[in-house]
Amino acid sequence: MSLKRWMTGFMEKNGLLVGLYILGAVTLWIVLMIVLPQLFMLDFSFRYNLPPAEIGGPKDVYTLSNYKYLIYGSAGSAADYNWIDLSVFLQTIIAAVFVTLIDLALCYPIAYYLAHTAKGATGRLLILSLIIPYWVNEILRAFAFRIIFGASGVINNFLVYLGLIDQPIDFIREDVALYTGLSYAYILLMIFPIYNAVESLDRNQVEAARDMGSGWLRIHWRIVIPFAKPGIASGCTMVFMLTAGALAAPQILGGPSSLWFTQLIVQWFNTGGNWPRGSAYAIALLIACVAFVLFMMRVFKIRVGEIGR
Amino acid sequence: MSQAAVELDSVTIKFGDFVAVRDVNIDIGDGEFFSFLGPSGCGKTTLLRAVSGFLEPTDGHVRIHGNDMAGIGPNVRPTALIFQNLALFPLMTVWENIAFGLEVRGVGKRERRDRAEELLDLIALPGQGDKMVSELSGGQRQRVAIARALAVEPKVLLLDEPLSALDLKLRQHMRTELRAIQQRVGITFIYITHDQGEALTMSDRIAVMSAGVVEQVGKGADIYDRPDSAFVASFVGENNAFRGRVTQISGDEVKLEGRQGQLVGRFNPDNPVREGDEAYLFVRPESFKFADAANADAVNTIKATVREDEFEGSFHHLILAAGEDDYVRMSLTNDGSHSSNLKGAEQSVRFEPARGVVLPIGPLATE
Amino acid sequence: MKSHHMMKLMIGFYIVLFFGYLFGPLIIMSITAFNSSDFPRVSPWDCFTLEWFPELRQDRFLVEGFQNSLVIGAGVIALAVPIGLAGALLLTQLGRRARSGFYTLMISPILVPGVVLGISTIIFWRRMGEMIGVPGEDNFLYEGIFMTILGQSTFISAFTMLVFVARLQRFDPAQEEAALDLGATKPQAFRKVLLPFLKPAIGSAAVLAFLASFENYNTTVFTILQDKTLTTVLASKVRYGIDPSISALAVLIVSLTLVAAFVYEVLRRREQKEAREIEARARAAERLEMQEVAQGEGGEDGPARSAAEIRAELPAASGKGFTLQAHHLAIVLALIAVAGIAKLMLTDDVYAATACKEEIRQEKLERQQELLEKQRQLMQERQQQEQGEKAPRSGDYQSIFDPGNLQGDGEEGSDAEQAPEAPATSDGQSSNDGKDYQSIFDPGNLQSEEGN
Repeated sequence: MSLKRWMTGFMEKNGLLVGLYILGAVTLWIVLMIVLPQLFMLDFSFRYNLPPAEIGGPKDVYTLSNYKYLIYGSAGSAADYNWIDLSVFLQTIIAAVFVTLIDLALCYPIAYYLAHTAKGATGRLLILSLIIPYWVNEILRAFAFRIIFGASGVINNFLVYLGLIDQPIDFIREDVALYTGLSYAYILLMIFPIYNAVESLDRNQVEAARDMGSGWLRIHWRIVIPFAKPGIASGCTMVFMLTAGALAAPQILGGPSSLWFTQLIVQWFNTGGNWPRGSAYAIALLIACVAFVLFMMRVFKIRVGEIGR
Repeated sequence: MSQAAVELDSVTIKFGDFVAVRDVNIDIGDGEFFSFLGPSGCGKTTLLRAVSGFLEPTDGHVRIHGNDMAGIGPNVRPTALIFQNLALFPLMTVWENIAFGLEVRGVGKRERRDRAEELLDLIALPGQGDKMVSELSGGQRQRVAIARALAVEPKVLLLDEPLSALDLKLRQHMRTELRAIQQRVGITFIYITHDQGEALTMSDRIAVMSAGVVEQVGKGADIYDRPDSAFVASFVGENNAFRGRVTQISGDEVKLEGRQGQLVGRFNPDNPVREGDEAYLFVRPESFKFADAANADAVNTIKATVREDEFEGSFHHLILAAGEDDYVRMSLTNDGSHSSNLKGAEQSVRFEPARGVVLPIGPLATE
Repeated sequence: MKSHHMMKLMIGFYIVLFFGYLFGPLIIMSITAFNSSDFPRVSPWDCFTLEWFPELRQDRFLVEGFQNSLVIGAGVIALAVPIGLAGALLLTQLGRRARSGFYTLMISPILVPGVVLGISTIIFWRRMGEMIGVPGEDNFLYEGIFMTILGQSTFISAFTMLVFVARLQRFDPAQEEAALDLGATKPQAFRKVLLPFLKPAIGSAAVLAFLASFENYNTTVFTILQDKTLTTVLASKVRYGIDPSISALAVLIVSLTLVAAFVYEVLRRREQKEAREIEARARAAERLEMQEVAQGEGGEDGPARSAAEIRAELPAASGKGFTLQAHHLAIVLALIAVAGIAKLMLTDDVYAATACKEEIRQEKLERQQELLEKQRQLMQERQQQEQGEKAPRSGDYQSIFDPGNLQGDGEEGSDAEQAPEAPATSDGQSSNDGKDYQSIFDPGNLQSEEGN
């Protein structure tokens, strides 16, 4: 079908005014807000960090140096590879996987319970109370964990009071606060996709399986989980992407020795003053995240269209 | 000169390679109650959408009161459509629904309200204008939909199976009401249905459609008594079909040789059979009579055994087995002349040659 | 049977734990807002105070950030709601393959890390400025609030689009056709039929857009440039020294959230009840109609009479009065809560527990004296023991007595080993038994006890 014919039909169906509004708004969004900025960033990441006067000048040529820096470090350094940044990168990805798994384990039972057991007013109230914490600012949520896990925070005080420890544990240095805060941050995005998926499962299937003598573990493994797979994949993708791209929680809860990759990017933009290199790092993060998610979708045989529903 | 209200002139509608409606030519008179009858998927709704302007015919013309409707959108055509699900606006009150057509034409609120009240009177729902649509019963919604369509004073009212969602009893009741409304307002109604009862009771004329093709157009009695095709014969009303080879055509009688021996039926000049052809002989259940000793050897007598006797109060519906594979359906008026249960009885049955019609082989309607 | 019981118990326990995890941090944080201690904490409990609330108003940055956040929120609503609606409307009109492609593209900003969106936005608009010939600082496109609205709307539009897609799935296209058939033009059909149907979705999308914008950090931290929003101010406050006024802010936000959730729930129940009543009326009408048809009473006056009967048969309106009351009560409660918060914010003369605080101060001073005494004794003993050894090793004592060490920030903790001149208090290696003394001896420590 030719584009012109489609356009004619589209305008006819919607009327000129509404049709122009739809196409205009979507074009603005996709072109000016989604695609072009990403392309410009990509372009920028292949350039040298030049003072404004030299931009567009003879020195403004394409280069791979920013990506090389991420992998090999500065030309002068003794090490073969930029182990500091690379390990931050790997740590971020691994930690994000870890947080995703924690959230999955935490949320699956709750989502199942909400979808299949808690019905009516109780269920609605529970769902509403799931949402309430997410109306509270992300920074404040991280702040709450900082209070709790502080040296004189509730947990340390309680443990000392019980006599389990005699000196406060530095939860922040140990990254306990960070992982707890990160897991907390995106719980909702894990629960709801699973909840939606499980809710559409016919309860009779579970009953039938129980009738045939299946234990609850087998019921979940053979019936509920395969059915809820799109929801689980969707939740995991969202949590992984958001965790890997998190900035506030690592800044507030991160221990002194653990940097998040996003913090490196921020450094290049702020203190580092090297935007092209920051862009290259951002592209690396984006590619890694997308590749990881595509890989997982391939493994679990989920289509992209099912994400985010 | 009396002009057709709606003129379908060689209308063909295709979706890609699929032909939904093929070469339809019908003139529908002004003030006529005209029905399109056919099974689902036969193209009748597509045809209706072409009349209302939601799609343009691929070939041919739709004319309304002589004006070609090509390129004229549904909002400008002098037609109003009643949707299968009624499509009442749930967020508006009853009177706002009825007056919507006036609202978009810029009629003032006072006048709109007055007009809505008039129409509420017409549909026997006076004083209910301020209710929400969701507060009404199925039949009331039906009437509101009609009032909403009539409010724009269309020349042609199109109805797309509007009764199909109703309970059987109510549906029969609404048939009478619809017909009464049509006679009161006096405009052309084009009615789409798969329910032959609806079509037969309400319509002035009926077009029977199958697979995109109009098989026959005529008054209800014509279509029932003088079907022009195997499809019409088998779709409209109950019918027994006997297959055989045409051995002789003389005058308006056709002799057919089949599993039941020789049977004689009426020749249909509108869809003629030729000698030597395979053909169907259709006989209505109510055309069968029990053969008695006096006419036991007359033509069209079939020996059979009563297998089922479904008693329906005013009728007995019998199913008789004739030989190995043939069954005969037969309806008897419960006039007291038959024993109350005939099941198992061996009976010869017969029909008058004029009550059977011979038609060329063609697809039969599947229930 | 018994195992079933156990199972239920375990599930219950798990749910309690889970919601404890969800709400515990918020509750504890809220409590700390009422403790007069300078560091936000629950124990030890000093004095109950409200002094942290008016303090928020004094913070110029916070107020400025808050105002900017409101402006940006409004801008995002104005941009993301129409865009999301357009996206959803487009999706409903595309073929299967095109739809899935566009869907993926439009949903992608949700999955792209927020920092990436922020970076790409500032790079793009700076470049755009350069292209039209106004580089750098003079570039009106390269402006914090403008770019923040755009950057946030990039992904918030995807949220709003999902809201509209969900709503549109329940739209009957015959409604629009009916409007057209009755003579409406396309814009009329859009305005009078589709938009009213989408109205609730527009409301939720706007609320969602505002909330998402209001709390966004990752994108905003780049796009806002030199300006600030509430969230970026909060983030820098939290990173560089925390104090209970942040908890006070959290109390405000949490209570506003609770009020909103409460009102929402009450309104929803009222709506549900109304829907049930309408349904009951429709059923009553239905029953009557069937009766009439059965009696064969069609014709002119049949339905008219039924109308009267239907009215008589309507479910008694007694429930309505009660609902209205409950609903009004809820609104009044909400207003009281909001008024209370406003009073807390706007009056300087709040309960600040001066007497109690003085008491605590005295107590602490006494305890300090005591400990000082003990310490002196301890030192003397050690000095006696260590006679003969060389000068005392660095380490504990040094950091204890270093007056500067309490101001240090946790962020620099990693540098502690390399940079002894700024030993951070968060440094876990610095001797733990030193910690108590350290805080006791520092004169400034009553103001800020905690470094990390």
